[in-house]
Amino acid sequence: MEHGSFTDNSAATFSLTDEDHTIANAVRFTLNQDPRVTFCGYSIPHPSEARVNIRVQTTGDPAREVLKDACQNLMLMCRHVRSTFDKAVEDFRASNAVKAMKIDSQDSSGDDSEESE
Amino acid sequence: MEGASYQRFPRVKIRELKDDYAKFELHDTDASMANALRRVMIAEVPTIAIDLVEIEVNSSVLNDEFIAHRLGLIPLTSQRAMSMRFSRDCDACDGDGQCEFCSVEFHLRAKCISDQTLDVTSNDLYSSDHTVVPVDFTDYAGYESSEQRGIIIVKLRRGQELRLRAIARKGIGKDHAKWSPAATVTFMYEPEIHINEDMMDTLTLEEKQSFVDSSPTRVFDIDPNTQQVVVVDPEAYTYDDEVLKKAEAMGKPGLVEIYAKEDSFIFTIESTGVVKASQLVLNAIEILKQKLDAVRLSEDTVEADDQFGELGAHMRGG
Repeated sequence: MEHGSFTDNSAATFSLTDEDHTIANAVRFTLNQDPRVTFCGYSIPHPSEARVNIRVQTTGDPAREVLKDACQNLMLMCRHVRSTFDKAVEDFRASNAVKAMKIDSQDSSGDDSEESE
Repeated sequence: MEGASYQRFPRVKIRELKDDYAKFELHDTDASMANALRRVMIAEVPTIAIDLVEIEVNSSVLNDEFIAHRLGLIPLTSQRAMSMRFSRDCDACDGDGQCEFCSVEFHLRAKCISDQTLDVTSNDLYSSDHTVVPVDFTDYAGYESSEQRGIIIVKLRRGQELRLRAIARKGIGKDHAKWSPAATVTFMYEPEIHINEDMMDTLTLEEKQSFVDSSPTRVFDIDPNTQQVVVVDPEAYTYDDEVLKKAEAMGKPGLVEIYAKEDSFIFTIESTGVVKASQLVLNAIEILKQKLDAVRLSEDTVEADDQFGELGAHMRGG
């Protein structure tokens, strides 16, 4: 839900239902990275109600577009974290497999950090 | 096309990875992102847990709802959870939420016929889907007894019986803690410790030793060869300022300087066993993307009003 003015759409407050700090703080951070944004912040009107108000003021671009771009950037970041994490897991498992083979060849007795995969 | 944004892309480095434990570093991102990941891992990654229990016979010492509560808390392997539907969204069943697409059925039959106490455990729960079973906590590394350990649900005496049918559904930690897949998820800022070597040289060996001992966790140590104070484990530092207070008490403020790197985090994740720790992180990222999609694509109803009404009153601090 967007509360804004018909004449000036560079400033608006977005009211998101069923959301909390999890997404609001992350979106606020990404909005701050955007140079078109002059002000952004979020508030939670009442802790018992799952609603977040995100306020965005820009240098002229429509606030809705800027918010959508911020969500898009955040999704790109998530995608990047995911692929980086996947790759890091593979590298870790590969290097551990090499270590395990070396330990086996030295005939160690019981490695307590053994992974049961 | 947006203007150039100052977005950086995070890096991940894994320290330790076991089935239910993961420790990794996340660099070049903000605390809000790390916290979002942590919150999603605890409260919004879906798992499967028993949600409805129909008790046919219960002559044990625990009452029905007690047993139903305990059954709900039993961790069930939830690899299927991400692809399953919520019962309330399922259109295949008649609305009772018990069809094969949105739920898993369990049954348990136990009767004590011997004089010995019978332990009814999670191993006695039989599932209709072999991919959703109570988590097996058998410790393969060095457990003497060969018996299968399971979570004890109730103990029965001779003649007592328990017969029930349970339905397990998909849910998230926000609704009830039984659906939370994470035992603990923590992250800390990576510390950067600088020792002022010139000031350190003015201390005697005893003073150095007492300085090293003043830290509750073993962050510093004295190198036996050079008799210098060295940092042995920077991440053991828990951001208590004991060493700084000790340095001041010795009359040498600035002996060490400890900063928290603001864009470097060390995550420690322990899963309950329902999903692997690495899978938990991936699911969390997936859920975060879904939430962002929902925000991005929601149909905005523009309510134009310069005053903003009561919404604006709150934003103005009213």
